[in-house]
Amino acid sequence: MSALLSVSEVTVKFGGVVAVEDVSLDIGLGELVGVIGPNGAGKTTLMRVITGLVKPFNGTVALDGEDITNWAVDKRVRNGLALGQQIVKPLTAFTLLENVALASGCQRMASPLQALIQTKRDKELAKAGEFLDMVGIKSASDAYPSEVPLGYLKCLELARALALEPRLILLDEPLAGLNQAEATEMADLISSLVNETRSILLIEHNLREVIRICPKLYVQDQGRYLDFGPTSEVMANPKVRMAYLGEAKT
Amino acid sequence: MLFVDLLIQGIVQGAIYALIALGLTLIYGLLRILHVAHASLFTLGGYVGVIVTNQTGSLTLALCAAMVLVGLLGMLIYRVAYRPLLDKPPLVALIASIGLFIAFEEVFRIVFGSYGISFHNPPLRAQIEFGGGLLLSYSRILIIVMAVSFLSVLAWLSSRTRTGVAWRATVTDPQMAASFGINVENVRYLNFFIGSALAGAAGVMVVLLTNLAEPTMGAVASYKALAIIVLGGLGSVRGTLIAALAIGIVESFGTVYIGHILDRDAIAFAFLIIALMLRPQGLLRAG
Amino acid sequence: MAYEIIVATTMAITILFALSLNIITGFCGQVSLGHAAFYGLGAYTGAMLTKAGWPLIAALPPAAIVAGSVGFVVGLASLRVRHDFLAITTMGVAFLFVGLVRKQEWLGGEIGISGIPAVQFGRPGLLVLSIICAALFAALAVYIKRSWMGFAFDSIANDEDTARVLGIDVPRFKLWAFVIGTSGAGVAGALYAHHVRYIGPDSFGFVESVTVLAMVIIGGVGSVWAVALAAAVLSVLPLWFQFVSDYKLLIYGLLVFGVMRFSPDGIAGAVQRLLNRRS
Repeated sequence: MSALLSVSEVTVKFGGVVAVEDVSLDIGLGELVGVIGPNGAGKTTLMRVITGLVKPFNGTVALDGEDITNWAVDKRVRNGLALGQQIVKPLTAFTLLENVALASGCQRMASPLQALIQTKRDKELAKAGEFLDMVGIKSASDAYPSEVPLGYLKCLELARALALEPRLILLDEPLAGLNQAEATEMADLISSLVNETRSILLIEHNLREVIRICPKLYVQDQGRYLDFGPTSEVMANPKVRMAYLGEAKT
Repeated sequence: MLFVDLLIQGIVQGAIYALIALGLTLIYGLLRILHVAHASLFTLGGYVGVIVTNQTGSLTLALCAAMVLVGLLGMLIYRVAYRPLLDKPPLVALIASIGLFIAFEEVFRIVFGSYGISFHNPPLRAQIEFGGGLLLSYSRILIIVMAVSFLSVLAWLSSRTRTGVAWRATVTDPQMAASFGINVENVRYLNFFIGSALAGAAGVMVVLLTNLAEPTMGAVASYKALAIIVLGGLGSVRGTLIAALAIGIVESFGTVYIGHILDRDAIAFAFLIIALMLRPQGLLRAG
Repeated sequence: MAYEIIVATTMAITILFALSLNIITGFCGQVSLGHAAFYGLGAYTGAMLTKAGWPLIAALPPAAIVAGSVGFVVGLASLRVRHDFLAITTMGVAFLFVGLVRKQEWLGGEIGISGIPAVQFGRPGLLVLSIICAALFAALAVYIKRSWMGFAFDSIANDEDTARVLGIDVPRFKLWAFVIGTSGAGVAGALYAHHVRYIGPDSFGFVESVTVLAMVIIGGVGSVWAVALAAAVLSVLPLWFQFVSDYKLLIYGLLVFGVMRFSPDGIAGAVQRLLNRRS
């Protein structure tokens, strides 16, 4: 059984600095995995290697057994990957509905020629409505990104990612900037989205929520693998506690 | 001797480009705007240089007048054209600047005529001979000396005086500078004044060489100056200087050796395009 | 009658020229300060073919292909650099074209090509042909806008990186925009050559590139009807008012500046805001 996502011995260097060192990680279908680690651990860099925004110095990334290490971002997205970014990037010239509809029509735009000969958008607009509904912001369908609060834009990132109908969603700090109640709501939402056709990889600093909703955790510290496994075991690991809290109190 | 001759030509040309490009890079570094209208200031400098010299017989006075007038106009352009556009995408300012430039060029043509104006008594025509049959006119020598002086003074000012340091701080991080009490607006005005004054000086120098101030003289110099600052790595003073000299020299040698295929401007731009394709961020990154 | 035909032909050709740039800069958001070079490529190609005996209609496809092929290459540059850098690179292309053509004797050098043959059906024939070409291209533009290619272009113009993250192969779409736009300019150029019957390198330089960009901007990037309107009006303004001819560039310059200063989304944007305020 090949894993859905397989990261193998990946090392990333920026100039002389090693941001990620020899990291390996396997994710299967239907999993919800939290990626945690102290600041500067290289979690976002790892995410960017998986999505293709950064090229690794060494190592491979495979999706469903296929080596995608040299694939461009858009190719990965067309083949089952989706990304929700930490700093939300809505398309400001489109309404929320249109933003999601664009994502929904991803396969229609697989090539410019294909895109040129197709004009119908109603199917995608309808689906977009459903996705907006799923994340709870359907009421703002016709609003522009500049007109809605941050929480809505975070939900939009999620709705867009869902609309791409991916097998794996990578979320980079979806709870950042949200207050406690909002964060809990968002966390519950994310948790509800995992099913047998879809996995979610979640980078988060909000430990409380991550521990609550993620059955599995991957921990990275200073660019290196620290631990990976069921949440309770990982959180009991003294090395993990030390990485977060510094020297353990005796 | 041809080699040395070409080299000196290239350096002189590069020095002039550097003076024009420096103003552009100062402004880009501060505002992220490609100030195409800068060339109009260069042209105005040339006109003022000729007019004042013809009226008063003093090149020195003309140079000062050109620098001051053009500097002031530069500040005005900032206030009227760019400040209102700071919150728009940079392309808007670029195109507004192009519009302004074209308008200015036309105003020069309408006011002073298409054929331009010249010195009544072209100054500094005499040449002195260096060893080996190398002839250099006083004007060329003056240009190199002035360029070097201006740049050195600027470098000294920016690292040794409080204003200079404030300016550098504002370029690097305006918000931080503001929280230290630096008046960012004043720095911007100063920037435009200095950059424009340099362009004005360059205008006088070019007219010194060609004895003609005409409406389109800014055109190619400006486009090339833009190319130079992009090549040098937008915002990097050192990069700009290197790129200016590089283009001056490439042009000088290029026109002799491949001038039958490409004209002078095309050579400069071909060099630019190739360089950008190889290093899309410019030769040096912004300091 | 003859005078009106000439004016109308100028309008039709200029509309085609401006709409072609609109695809690259308006739809896809890739600034091009060198579009006149492709106009020139089409003009020279068309002129040389008809001087060799080809009928104009047969010369149009090659003009489009030559312009489009070079457009593809320039489009590749847009994959390397963006925004300001792309503006300067395309500006370089404008100078490169003029500087290169000026030195080629087989292209007529500085003097250019004169004695370009009249079109078979005379000026009325050329007018009809120009109108057909402009109308076809406008229809293509409107279609593209409504298609998924237009949707992709809109997203690229808004935020390239986000478009990529949504699965759009941005480089390929950009190249298509360049090829379609420059091919259109090539056809316009070929028509232009047979309209004025004499072409030289100076007709296709940076100032001409800025002029056509001005039309796209004043119209309002991305809007087909507004750009066509701006192109039509600005192309014949100097002809209608003689004194305007002398001040043409000054007016252009001030217009461009004014539009950018007060209504960066052009006439189309201003109209849109007017309509929104009414409803």
